[in-house]
Amino acid sequence: MFDKLQQAFWKALTPDMVPDEANITADAVAGLNAEIVAALGGVDNLKSQQPLALTRVRVTLHDEARVDRQALSMAGVAGVMCLEGGVLHLITGLRAEG
Amino acid sequence: MATPQQLQLLAPLSGVLMALDQVPDPVFAGRIIGDGLCIDPTSSTLCAPLAGVVSDVQASGHALTITSDAGVQVLMHIGLDTVNLAGEGFTRRVETGQRVEAGQALIDFDADYIALHARSLLTLMLVVSGEPFDSLVGSTGLVEVGQPVLDVVVGAAVGEHPAPLPGDAVFSQPINLPNPNGLHARPAAVFAQAAKAFSATIHLHKLQAQANGKSLVAIMALQTAHGDSVQVSAEGEDAVAAVDALTRLLSEGCGEAVTAPAPVEADAAEMPNILRGVCASPGSALGQVMQIVEASLLVNEFGEALSQALIEADMALQHLRDTASGQAQAEIFKAHQELLADPSLLDQARALIDAGKSAAFAWKTSTDATAAMFRSLGNALLAERAADLDDVGQRVLKLILGVHEQTLELPDDTILIADQLTPSQTAGLDTRKVLGFATVGGGATSHVAILARACGLPAICGMPLQMLGLGNGTRVLLDADKGELQLHPDAESIDQLRTRHERQRQRHQQELAQASEAACTRDGQHIEVTANVASQEETAQAMELGANGVGLLRSEFLYLGRQQAPSHDEQLATYSAIARTIGPAHNLVVRTLDVGGDKPLAYVPMDSETNPFLGLRGIRLCLERPQLLREQFRAILACCELTRLHIMLPMVTNLAELRLARQILEQEARVLGLAHMPKLGIMIEVPAAALMADVLAPHVDFFSIGTNDLTQYTLAMDRDHPRLASQADSFHPSVLRLIAMTVKAAQAHGKWVGVCGAMASERLAVPLLLGLGVDELSVSVPLIPAIKSAVRELNLADCRIIAEQVSNLESATDVREALQRFHEAKVDASPVMEN
Repeated sequence: MFDKLQQAFWKALTPDMVPDEANITADAVAGLNAEIVAALGGVDNLKSQQPLALTRVRVTLHDEARVDRQALSMAGVAGVMCLEGGVLHLITGLRAEG
Repeated sequence: MATPQQLQLLAPLSGVLMALDQVPDPVFAGRIIGDGLCIDPTSSTLCAPLAGVVSDVQASGHALTITSDAGVQVLMHIGLDTVNLAGEGFTRRVETGQRVEAGQALIDFDADYIALHARSLLTLMLVVSGEPFDSLVGSTGLVEVGQPVLDVVVGAAVGEHPAPLPGDAVFSQPINLPNPNGLHARPAAVFAQAAKAFSATIHLHKLQAQANGKSLVAIMALQTAHGDSVQVSAEGEDAVAAVDALTRLLSEGCGEAVTAPAPVEADAAEMPNILRGVCASPGSALGQVMQIVEASLLVNEFGEALSQALIEADMALQHLRDTASGQAQAEIFKAHQELLADPSLLDQARALIDAGKSAAFAWKTSTDATAAMFRSLGNALLAERAADLDDVGQRVLKLILGVHEQTLELPDDTILIADQLTPSQTAGLDTRKVLGFATVGGGATSHVAILARACGLPAICGMPLQMLGLGNGTRVLLDADKGELQLHPDAESIDQLRTRHERQRQRHQQELAQASEAACTRDGQHIEVTANVASQEETAQAMELGANGVGLLRSEFLYLGRQQAPSHDEQLATYSAIARTIGPAHNLVVRTLDVGGDKPLAYVPMDSETNPFLGLRGIRLCLERPQLLREQFRAILACCELTRLHIMLPMVTNLAELRLARQILEQEARVLGLAHMPKLGIMIEVPAAALMADVLAPHVDFFSIGTNDLTQYTLAMDRDHPRLASQADSFHPSVLRLIAMTVKAAQAHGKWVGVCGAMASERLAVPLLLGLGVDELSVSVPLIPAIKSAVRELNLADCRIIAEQVSNLESATDVREALQRFHEAKVDASPVMEN
């Protein structure tokens, strides 16, 4: 959201410097590579995914039992925090802030 | 001192270690509070790393300090900027003064809530008493709660306070804390650090309580809040200097971005005659003061539905967007609509509603908390956006509470003054009656600045609080160019202003009247003044204002904000319409698709890049997806007969890119059976291209210099960086030398050079660019008459001399000053200006 806002305002502020329309947000994989998705039980098992809190990706799963912890760690996930309701925080490392 | 002993600290949480240097928080990474370690938690109960007494628990439950019997003090801070959660998500299990065992549970936290609502969960454990320690676990990898992690050498603490010199304590004036959350860990650390620089004993006082000003923990234990009145006292040799410096630090927010403190009672008797601020929009005006004050709303337990108010607010914003007087204003309300739909705001509000709170209360709480977070991120731009959130918050709140907006009746010639003006306040204003703005808050990126510039009205920001003591109707002279608000101006100042205005008006009229005439220097050099456009409408407007064609058609507008690439027919129709508007007598320079990872297209999937500005963008992306480029060439080529067609490639770095693109272009031209090829040129915006211009020149028909990107790449400064943007100035001599190099190479091969960056639209740059040998200036549409007129005032011979001189100066500021002097000597003094 910060990105979008910032973009909108810079556009308003310096129309000549930021010439081009709208910022289409498309962090296509939202911080999850194919190995991680596989270790989480595949795309079908993923209800939602959201990178947040600088270092984490919050995923909601249909079935937590399908998670392969070892494969997650092999895929570069440094830590996993299991929460209620099929929610998992994957600690994937520091991302740049928007 | 006792013999040093070892004390093992246990991991307070399970999780992943992060090196302290990498923690994205300057106070923690800089070890200003103390050295220790950082854990990204996977458990959600903070446990005591050592036995001792809880010397401080922050009321908001996100931080806690334990002091051992041997005096070792360990601070634990859960998450970054979690103070803004105001306790939400944290459950304290111990109280201040309580003795705890190593490993005992201290604070439970809701990791999911914090992750969703705060900046980060990164948790710090810091030895604030300063003893040295050895790490038992390194700085990366996993730790388990309770595992020994640090070996502290007890009894070796540094920083024992010397006995204070006898003498009377010096006290400061009371200071109202501007920090939104009082002196929590970060500002407290900055204060303690500054206090340690003085040998005097320093205390911070709040009512009857006092704290050692050099102790972070003691300051935090004062539990100060926003607006609390505190005093600094110091006793010792440098007491006076210490009180001075620390008072200033406190009122400036101890390194935190703070909003202006509550207005002090202004004393009219002491009001100086001239108030100074920062220019936010140039110009000047004479008028009378009118102050805008936002009334605070009383929130009751109404049970009105939030969603209905949100829908109404969205509709109201849409109306404001549709009726906005300019693009800038419309953009702001568009951003406000996005805020209304922000999931984290709505989640917070809904959670409160579910907990039985009223819609008004829930909405206010959630917008206030988020605005406070924006303000605390230490990013000036985001701090400005907090004002937007407040504005949207008020709008919805009024709808929930059924409060109707009152339209403000303004007298003629109003100079609006306010602490801060919100977009909603300015939207309803009758701009015919407003002559200018002066505000206490805000900066160059505030709304007042944006709107004032869009309306062409002068504005100054950062005014002293005293200004709010001015009575409505006070006559003032607002000179934004100088950053001054003159009270009760005398007849002479008023006369000067009127003369200046009259000259400007005449000048503008003259420029418009002569817009269609050629732009020739006094010694006969013809300069093409063309337009930067992104639509057919803009092209038509530009031609009406006297443009010699289009120097930059940003073709991105055809591609952005849609789910699939534009069809051939659609592209063809658009390019043809623009080409017809320009006609066969002038140039149309079409820049091929210039996008990258910062603005990816939905139908051109890209891997996310760490630094999109140094990534796959411009021609690099097009050559990766040659089909996209091929189709674009085909559509552009179809209007070859309608105008003097030029095609321009963005972001060219290597000759190979140009060759590949030309190959595709020639293939497409053959397929269409074109008799003659359009001109093909490149943007010079990568320093490599400027440095290699002599190698590139034989292979192009023209160069066009994109000064915005060339500047940011040459100076390695992001032009959107809140603090660097003002230094990322195209007038830097390094950029000028690259321009000179490009022109020299082009002239050696008989090719022309244009400038299509923002620099070409600056009047001050005209003699410089002409002197450097530029043939074409492509400028933003409304400035065409002014730039043409600027050309007519110059002698090319003079321009060459000044260009040569300024290229040898050392900074952009020096260059601007020299050009200003040149302007005054050569242009203002010339008879052309006399009317």
